[in-house]
Amino acid sequence: MGFLTNFFNKFFKNLFGKKSHLKLGLYGPPNGGKSTLANRICKDWLGEELSTVSNIPHETREIQVKEQVNIKNKKGKEISFSLVDTPGIATKIDYEDFIKKGMKAKTAKKRAKEATKGVIESIRWLDDMDAVSVVLDATQDPYSQVNITIVGNLAARNIPVLIVANKMDLKKAKMDKVKAAFPQYKVVGVSAKYDKNINDFYEHLFKLVG
Amino acid sequence: MPHRCVRCGTIYDDGASEILKGCPCGARLFFFIKKKHLEESKEMIVNLSQEEKQQMEEDVFELVGAEPDKDRPVILDFESIRVLKPGQYLLDLVNLFKKDQPLVFKLADGKYVIDVPGTFKKFAK
Repeated sequence: MGFLTNFFNKFFKNLFGKKSHLKLGLYGPPNGGKSTLANRICKDWLGEELSTVSNIPHETREIQVKEQVNIKNKKGKEISFSLVDTPGIATKIDYEDFIKKGMKAKTAKKRAKEATKGVIESIRWLDDMDAVSVVLDATQDPYSQVNITIVGNLAARNIPVLIVANKMDLKKAKMDKVKAAFPQYKVVGVSAKYDKNINDFYEHLFKLVG
Repeated sequence: MPHRCVRCGTIYDDGASEILKGCPCGARLFFFIKKKHLEESKEMIVNLSQEEKQQMEEDVFELVGAEPDKDRPVILDFESIRVLKPGQYLLDLVNLFKKDQPLVFKLADGKYVIDVPGTFKKFAK
């Protein structure tokens, strides 16, 4: 009897449960626009925001999760996932950079410590992800140690990756450079802040996990 | 290789019992010093105030989220995070991403391991 129960539980879990347990992580360097994109997704499908955003790097210093985000495409296909907004991954965190942005020393040091903890947390969560969007600032050089390390480690863990070249509204944004840096991955150019090309991002998401 | 106590600054030779048992001052964290850098490191440590050293120690404990295993101080020759002074961190991402390596913090010119297996979910996988 127990065997039969297990069999049916497993059968129905595979049939209906698989997609609801999907975790989509937003990873990338600080200030790439992960939280802005997370907010855009949540606004579009849930009508509310997820994270606070700021132009000072390392604004997100703790993992933010939004359970049960359901998105639909034009063909009526639906996917459901937990959206995980992660702290930015960096190789150097210096409180003096925050002081330059007008912060007081004590607050800046606290922010640096929390940001360091955030990097560790982001990396710890990586194995729990079913798919990851690496969110990059398209105005910056894509060949950074942070970007290469993140993408390389996702590949090593066989986690599906979608590269998001964000801030495409800015003149300096170079989509071609991002594409050239990661030729083996799908790259979608968006402006999360100004809601540009977000539907294209959703379509790519469907292809990635749908 | 010599080790220097983070709190009181006493230097111990390699294999000294204090490194395993802990320094008589009560601290169990040691800078690990390569001989050729010994002179430089003396200067670097002197440049850090007592408050700064204390702050670094507290910060790292807080980052790890638990007290280290007080019975087993361990010192290794690699680090994933280097704390230059309070609020300044250099992160070695390649090391951090490795699944089978513990989190190792290095303070200024030395280093120490925070051996907290409970905080490493990745080891369980």
